[in-house]
Amino acid sequence: MDIIATLSSGYGFWNPVMWLIAAAVSLLVVYLFWLRGEKSYKKGTAQGQPFIGGNVAKEKGALHIRAGNLYWGYTESLKGYYRWVVPLHTGVLNDYVLWFLGVMAFLLVVVVVL
Amino acid sequence: MKLTKSFNKSLWAFHFNSGSCNGCEIEIVAAITPRYDPERFGIKLVGSPKHADVLIVTGPVVKKMKPRLLSVYEQIPDPKIVMCVGTCGTSGATFYDSYNLDGPVDDVIPVDVYVPGCPPRPEAIIHGVVKALVKLERIEGGGI
Repeated sequence: MDIIATLSSGYGFWNPVMWLIAAAVSLLVVYLFWLRGEKSYKKGTAQGQPFIGGNVAKEKGALHIRAGNLYWGYTESLKGYYRWVVPLHTGVLNDYVLWFLGVMAFLLVVVVVL
Repeated sequence: MKLTKSFNKSLWAFHFNSGSCNGCEIEIVAAITPRYDPERFGIKLVGSPKHADVLIVTGPVVKKMKPRLLSVYEQIPDPKIVMCVGTCGTSGATFYDSYNLDGPVDDVIPVDVYVPGCPPRPEAIIHGVVKALVKLERIEGGGI
C-alpha cells in the first residue's frame, strides 16, 4: 500500500509505521516516568509553584525572558512611533470599528470628492 | 520520587531562617561538617523544600518572614517534620514581646521537635534530627 510505503529523499527516509511505533514507545516511556512520580503531590497548592526562596511566585512573564525582549533594540529605536501607536490599540472592538469607519470616510473623500 | 525503599531512612532537611541572628545557622553548618558527618547516615541539607523531609526553622519569625515560612512549609511534601532550632524560634527569647514578631514558630506552623539553646550545640541539633527521624518513621508507619 502506498500509505505505508517508505519515502526516501536521498538524505533520509520517512515511514508512517515507524513513526507511529516511535511515538508509541515515547508515550510509553513518558507514562512510566509519570507513574513513578510523587503521589502525595497536592495540585492547586504552593507545591505546584516554583520555589523562589519562599517568595510568592510572580506570573511567568515576570520570571522568564519575554518574547518582546528578543527584539528590544527594534522597539527601542522606534519608540517614538510605538509611543503613538500602542495606546491606539485599546483592544476594544468599538474603537477599531470607529477607526475603520473613519479611514473609509477619509478614503471616500480622497477618491470620490477630490 | 522514591527510588527504592532503602532511601526511606535518608533524612533530607531544608533550613529556613525566619529572622535568626545567624548563631543557630553557624551551629547547623558546624553540625554538617566532617567532625560530626551526619551525611554518612543520609542526613543532609537540601536547597529546595520540595526535596525535604524536615524543615529546620531558626529565628523567632519576624512579620516579613511569616508568609515565606508558610509557603516553604506548604511546599514540603508529606509526611514532613518541623524542627525548631534555638530559643528564639521556641519562645521568642529576648524578643518575645517585640512588635515585629509573628512568632514563635509554633504560632505559625506546627512544630514536632524543639532544640533549645542560644545557640544549641551541634550535638543537640543532631539529637533533634534523630528525634525527627523517629517521628517521621512513626508517621510513615501509621504509628501517629
